[in-house]
Amino acid sequence: MNTVIETIDIHGAQLSRRGFLASGGALVVGLGLLPQAAQAATSKTTLNPAALSSWIEIKADNTVLIRTGKSDFGQGSIYTTYRQIVAEELDLPFEAITTVVSADTDRTPDGGGTFGFLGDVNGNGMPNLRKVAAYTRHALLELAAQRLGVAKEGLSITDGVVSGGGKRISYGELIKDQNLKLTIPVKGEISGFMGLAVDGNPPMKPVASYKVIGKSFRNSAIASKVTGKELWVTNVKLPGMLHARTVHPATLGSTLVSAGQLDKTKFPGAQVIVKGNLVGVVAANEWEAVQAARQVAATTKWTEWKGLPGQANLFHHLRNEADWKAVAVTKGEANKGDVASAMAAAAKKLSASYELPYMKHAPIGPTMALADVRPDGMVTVHTHTQNAQQLRGQIARMLGTGLDKVIIRTYAGAGHYGRSNGGNAGGEDEAVILSKELGRPVRVQWMRADDLQWSTQSPAAYSDIQIGLDANGKIVGYQADHYMPAMQDDRPIGAVLAGLPTARAPGDKDTPPSANTLYDDWVYDAILNSEERGHGTWQIGQRASPLAAGLRDHAMRTPGQYQQNFPRELAISEAAALAGADAIQFRIDHAKEERLKSVLARLRAESAWETRAAPHPGAASTGEAKVHGQGVSVMLRSGTYWACACQITLTPATGAIAVEKVTVVVEPGIVVNPLQLKRQVEGGTLMGVSEALYEEVAFDETGVTVRDWQSYPILKMADMPEVKVVLMHRPEVGSYGGGSEAANALASPAIAAAVHDATGKPVRRLPLRPAYLKELFSV
Amino acid sequence: MVSITVNGNQRQVQSAPDTPLLYVLRNELDVTSPQFGCGLAQCGACSVLLDGKEVRSCVTPVSMAAGKEITTVEGLGARWGKQKKEKTLHPVQTAWIEEQAPLCGFCQNGMMIKAVELLEKTAKPSDAEIKAAFTTSGPSAHLCRCGSYVAILEAVRHASALMVKGSTT
Repeated sequence: MNTVIETIDIHGAQLSRRGFLASGGALVVGLGLLPQAAQAATSKTTLNPAALSSWIEIKADNTVLIRTGKSDFGQGSIYTTYRQIVAEELDLPFEAITTVVSADTDRTPDGGGTFGFLGDVNGNGMPNLRKVAAYTRHALLELAAQRLGVAKEGLSITDGVVSGGGKRISYGELIKDQNLKLTIPVKGEISGFMGLAVDGNPPMKPVASYKVIGKSFRNSAIASKVTGKELWVTNVKLPGMLHARTVHPATLGSTLVSAGQLDKTKFPGAQVIVKGNLVGVVAANEWEAVQAARQVAATTKWTEWKGLPGQANLFHHLRNEADWKAVAVTKGEANKGDVASAMAAAAKKLSASYELPYMKHAPIGPTMALADVRPDGMVTVHTHTQNAQQLRGQIARMLGTGLDKVIIRTYAGAGHYGRSNGGNAGGEDEAVILSKELGRPVRVQWMRADDLQWSTQSPAAYSDIQIGLDANGKIVGYQADHYMPAMQDDRPIGAVLAGLPTARAPGDKDTPPSANTLYDDWVYDAILNSEERGHGTWQIGQRASPLAAGLRDHAMRTPGQYQQNFPRELAISEAAALAGADAIQFRIDHAKEERLKSVLARLRAESAWETRAAPHPGAASTGEAKVHGQGVSVMLRSGTYWACACQITLTPATGAIAVEKVTVVVEPGIVVNPLQLKRQVEGGTLMGVSEALYEEVAFDETGVTVRDWQSYPILKMADMPEVKVVLMHRPEVGSYGGGSEAANALASPAIAAAVHDATGKPVRRLPLRPAYLKELFSV
Repeated sequence: MVSITVNGNQRQVQSAPDTPLLYVLRNELDVTSPQFGCGLAQCGACSVLLDGKEVRSCVTPVSMAAGKEITTVEGLGARWGKQKKEKTLHPVQTAWIEEQAPLCGFCQNGMMIKAVELLEKTAKPSDAEIKAAFTTSGPSAHLCRCGSYVAILEAVRHASALMVKGSTT
């Protein structure tokens, strides 16, 4: 049955017929590593590429199953846009894609992080499945040409039926009773950050012929979530499972002196497990584990450590004490001209510094994972991760075992906005360590304080910007220096505490910190002289911490670009005010790209924008009377142009601020699913308002001091602005831009510019809490 | 042993009486729609209806639920069906699906429970009443980190229309 009786080349993929089946039949689309990639994979891992799962299976009943290594983090993309893209390339109705298998490492073919859903950073719209579907379409055409005796060029496909020369045949009929396999070329490393990528260039359907893309299909996961049927990761149970709580160290640099004594009379079913500096408390009953962990924590002794600058000294530390020379300065790809000369000749000059605090991913449910380490060495981890294959690699490395011994199963969970795009969200490694120790499945659930204090965070940053204007108010020179500690710390913290092997930190005692990339795509092409530089340094406290912990940083929604776009856009608004120009028109005048100009023109029309220079004629920074302001921001991210306008009301005497309205214009080129994109943009926008108004990680010399939703407040419903989302569907530009990230970054610079507009006082840091604004206005 | 009524079924609870209702529902009774969010009554992910009033099951000892009627998302259809004498989704669930309200969805259990509590008391709430219900009416605001508040507001309006229509036909 498995003897290949025929092989046909399909644009570099191999279609093979392996005999006939008595009943059923399927076309199974799998992957074949290119020779060099296969070599890399086998040299680094014990992975058997041949054992990987297929991408697409077309059944004799015309239904289709798809598999992807990506997971759902609340974007719904794998259930909506992925289905649409596959259905489109295969000329099938959306409903024909009946099953989506995602992010289980033993059931899905590729890996890589759940980010850039629709392809690369340039918005090329090339997720693996789109290419796979294109290869598959050509394979089906080849089969139909053979069967019908009509040349491929004379065939067309509608709803899974191939017709030409007066004949027609459905996909199901082509496949019936056949054992067909299409092998797709791939490259990359399965457990790497990007995972495997489909290679080659199969011809794609022309955008003009799209029927499925562009329509608002529903996300099938939503019905199961609102009816209580979803199998959330939190709901997974295994026989003999123990519940665990971790007793984390007293500070981000404390080592264990002695674990607390468990009161067995109160907690007869509980047990304390110590592995290095990792202290776990387990019990069969979850409430017993919670209470026992509290009791143990109260008597556990740790060494003292004070190695952080403390929040009040954060920017003094970054500016004066941090070493920015340890890693090379990065330079913007769009840098051009002679900025120094342009600045020297400028008629007016803006010179300003901008500061952003540490922020938390702050998932609404704290991290949770269930691990089952078997006596034969097989490890299964049930979790909610954005990069299951990379987590698999992390667990294998920690245990010193092969990739083939580790399975990651991914379920729905609380979104955590980038925290696990490099594998772990926190807790997975602790569950594995405890399960291995106890020989039983262990479910680790962090408490709210653990999640705020022991997870990674979005790094703090500051920027120094200078803008020179000529006598006509035109920018003649732009210079930005962006400073941010290293960001992508993918080390699982439980492994760090237990002293087990991990990947390297992004800079440590032996290696320089990772560089600060220039993340914010330059959009003001009409400026003749511009220079952007990125400065990197170590994570704060990491090298001084005996645990090598400190303030660990990680990508968070719109990572890096948030930290660079806030200062840029706020500075451009301030420069517009200095030039006496309207902030939207000022941006249009300094751009060349037609897509950006169109987005800004649309924003002006849709947002009730007052075309005038800032500040507002009624601006005031004192008094009880409410003042009003408007602000704008733009961003280019992953092939999508974004523009945002915010209108605010503010009481100078108290610093009380209300964001009244946010208008966001999104132009990704092709809008795959308008309803889902609108919901994503609304959500991201409100997260951005939350970040602008409230969010800041408080910390002292020992560690993070926020521990609940009162000390780390986020936006509440009553405080939300009116949100207006305008989608610009422009298939003619050919971009498949991203649609979830960026939305959360837009509001901050627009709101800060609106405060400047309302009060005449520039505001150059976040968050815009009333106490801070009141103090700012009183100076 | 505590006896409680969950979605119309009487259940004998083995857990200690001081065990928070959340752990009893999830671990002992396999009623898993209420989620652990904070354990501090600060977010609403664990909300259930206790005799029609939204409470935080993460801080409610199971003993306090004795003799009372507990409704979770699993029981919303029956709760509406009892009024309508038919088996169906609750209009709040229908509206949540039709509006495609959830993003990650982890908080939406509590959001739907709060919506049912509101709409059973106030058939046609104003936007201000909806916002107040989700912000100031309970032990804390109901928090959504994904920012689905716009969708929730629209879904509550939608559910209100469905319920008003449904209760007159």
